[in-house]
Amino acid sequence: MSTKHSKAAAQYLRTPDVALHHDATFFNVRQKRDRMAQALPEWEQLREMADQIKRHTATHLDSYLEQFEREAKANGIHVHWAADADEYNSIVLDLLRTNGVKKVVKSKSMLTEECHLNSHLEAAGIDVVETDLGERILQMMALAPSHIVMPALHVHREDIGRCFREKIADYADIAKTYTGDATDENDPTLLTYIARMHLRRQFAEADCGMTGANFGIAETGEVVVCTNEGNADMSTSIPRLHIVSMGIEKLVPTVKSMGIFQRLLARCGTGQETTVYTSHFRGPRPGGEMHIVLVDNGRSSILGNAEHWQTLKCMRCGACMNTCPVYRRSAGYSYTYFIPGPIGINLGMLRDADEHYHNVSACSLCCSCDNVCPVKVDLSQQIYLWRQQLDALGHASTMKKTMSRAMALLFNRPGLYTGMLRLAPMVNWMPNAVLNAGLNPWAYGHKMMTFPKKSFHQWWKENKAGDAQNKAQD
Amino acid sequence: MPCYVDALYPEVGIATLRLLRSLGLDVDYPERQTCCGQPMGNAGFEKMAVPLAKQFDELFAPYDYVVAPSVSCTAYVRHQHPRLTGSEGCQGTAGRVTDLVEFLHDVVKVTSLPAKFPHKVSIHNSCHGVRELGLSAPSERNVPRYNKIIDLLRLVEGCEPVEPERPDECCGFGGMFAVEEQAVSRQMGIDKLKRHIATGAEYVTGPDSSCLMHLRGIAEKEAMPIQFVHLAQILTAGIAE
Amino acid sequence: MTTTREKILSRLRENTSQQYEMPNLAALDAIRYADPVAEFIVKTTTTAGARLVELTEGETVGDCVKRIAGTGIVASALEGIEAQMNPDTVGDVRELMTAEVGVVEGRIGVAENACIWIPQQMREKAILFAVQHLVIVLSRTAIVNNMNEAYALISDDDSFRGKYPFGTFISGPSKTADIEGALVYGAQAARALTVILT
Repeated sequence: MSTKHSKAAAQYLRTPDVALHHDATFFNVRQKRDRMAQALPEWEQLREMADQIKRHTATHLDSYLEQFEREAKANGIHVHWAADADEYNSIVLDLLRTNGVKKVVKSKSMLTEECHLNSHLEAAGIDVVETDLGERILQMMALAPSHIVMPALHVHREDIGRCFREKIADYADIAKTYTGDATDENDPTLLTYIARMHLRRQFAEADCGMTGANFGIAETGEVVVCTNEGNADMSTSIPRLHIVSMGIEKLVPTVKSMGIFQRLLARCGTGQETTVYTSHFRGPRPGGEMHIVLVDNGRSSILGNAEHWQTLKCMRCGACMNTCPVYRRSAGYSYTYFIPGPIGINLGMLRDADEHYHNVSACSLCCSCDNVCPVKVDLSQQIYLWRQQLDALGHASTMKKTMSRAMALLFNRPGLYTGMLRLAPMVNWMPNAVLNAGLNPWAYGHKMMTFPKKSFHQWWKENKAGDAQNKAQD
Repeated sequence: MPCYVDALYPEVGIATLRLLRSLGLDVDYPERQTCCGQPMGNAGFEKMAVPLAKQFDELFAPYDYVVAPSVSCTAYVRHQHPRLTGSEGCQGTAGRVTDLVEFLHDVVKVTSLPAKFPHKVSIHNSCHGVRELGLSAPSERNVPRYNKIIDLLRLVEGCEPVEPERPDECCGFGGMFAVEEQAVSRQMGIDKLKRHIATGAEYVTGPDSSCLMHLRGIAEKEAMPIQFVHLAQILTAGIAE
Repeated sequence: MTTTREKILSRLRENTSQQYEMPNLAALDAIRYADPVAEFIVKTTTTAGARLVELTEGETVGDCVKRIAGTGIVASALEGIEAQMNPDTVGDVRELMTAEVGVVEGRIGVAENACIWIPQQMREKAILFAVQHLVIVLSRTAIVNNMNEAYALISDDDSFRGKYPFGTFISGPSKTADIEGALVYGAQAARALTVILT
């Protein structure tokens, strides 16, 4: 029995050093989050409030969206609505064409990845430049992200250096202007400087800046974008056209509620007190234009899913991945969905269960994710519930089904069960060849257990007579 | 009595029984019990666990408390059985189930034990124990630090309980997970064992035999130098039978 | 013909069953410091990776800026600053990318995370991001304990909003750890930040 995840994970673990380095790197981020949590006495209160605010917003979303649109329009922002990825991609392409845009600078947006915007725009001849350093590296190397917040941590500096030297036309000129201390051509400080200069040129040449939105504030029609690199701000301060892509579930009711979410986001996602930049966009720049595209793409349906609507609370912070012992040891590429880890398992199933059921095996139900989630999404219970759906979807593993049926057969017949217990020690006498063959998956990592001669049940039966006597004597 | 304890680790059951009796409690073992249904549930076939949940609810209804030397079974009964049995005809047994640690620490509130176990032991904080039963403060949360397992072990003469690094990271058993995601499960087990061994302890102990079974299986195959003992066995160690 | 907007809104309404109440945010017991100014200074100069200058008696902000900028181009719209570039009047916004130093005013300082709220008062906000070294002038009386207090001010008092519809919290110079997790200051925006505390 295997899934695409279990196979990919097994392959990844063939180089355990790589896997353990990945595990240590992300556990380190989890520990930084822990330190942040311990430093704030009100930590659990923040989580509780964030959970309640998101539940409230999601269950009043129609009126909050109407309020958001009204306020945004009053401030001169154009608001568009997209039912699905196709409509979203068309709206964006239309806007770019209308404005004669040749080059777009983009800051990080999971939504645009969800809708495959980049390839849609590139097919139309538009130059799309990712400006988050990790995303830019992946774009230049044609690699997929491995994590939603730190997408390129698995890429080696030597490969990045080689890629930059190959793909950045004025690499040599830029390198000459470097005045720092790094001497190795693959030093991260030097490479970051090269990327800085390369990207600043892109900002200067771009006709449009596209951002996502970490939050949209219904009360005032403003969007909040949080970055460490300042790339979203550079993208929107130089080109005159600003397009925001926002999932409809990103709304929060009021400016004051931002106090809860801003304090949780970076602490949970990267273990910092704050991102360097927390920018509030409330209207177009003087002489510029600002558009917000509100995207549904399945979210309004998820709201009606009693078992899984709470995924709408997700802030895309990445804390659940960092704490997941399975994600840490299998890494992003083992998952079939572009978002890995606990939230990715759930969102992938909601997106396309037939495509992404493979990830449902990637969980030992340890519940650590539930405890780090800033908005208390019941991630592990949702994964457990997806497991119950697999059979009906036609994706349950035959072996698991057979084993479960065998167990049910046994456990529903106490007489048969106790009979089997008496026979169980026979397993001890089976030759190793049989026990360790491919037939016995337990033997992959474990030495086979020895069945004791007497089960507890048998011991009880033999000894209770004696105990009854003792009791009578009391 | 968890099905795998019944079949593989009866000594844990016997120790549990002796311990409870030594505290003057009236202990019974309904013989028609088999399994709580967790293995099927976690594999995705909880419908197969429904008759077991109903059986469990009826069979254990006459008792004031139901005690199990297993945190994962206890957690499954407490959190999933109410949904599986439904409310019609339900005896509410799920609300009276505890694991051994909760029972000793919170119900009996035991303050002394005659047990002796002069060894350093590394605590295996099973996930379901920590995060579903509250046996210790989860390392992810900002709550006052506590550990009921350590509290109990401190009552045992000579016993030195310690915790490994990443004190409540999952060992990788997860029921069907261990066979479906073999490679990840094994790596999680190896990593956990290394951390237990690094404490210098002679034994790994915990409230759940399924975790211990998984770790022991890996340790034996990889020839890793550490032994395993269930908490119930330590709490009755050295007591005359 | 129903628009997408109508379709989405009606689907949301259909799919909403149980509704939840908004919690009382005032009940939050947010962290407070015995000396918020001291906390702000520590956070600014350690975790945020910025420099901080406490203005001494007799010294002006303009003097301070001159020391920082040396011979570099200074951009500012603030009075009392000798600037070669002005974000209110600059012709091509990209010129601001050539400025060595940009000087702006911050209205709120946040002790818990060294954030400074800067409402946009100048025509081109690029001054906040495009210059090499950003200098923020902040009054020590403007420092609050935490983000909840900061957002309460912004929410309740319009004087904390700028002339233009943009505002940002900035905490330290831009940074990244995207290459192998190695922390590097100076990503795409300012490479250095100095706070002048008045």
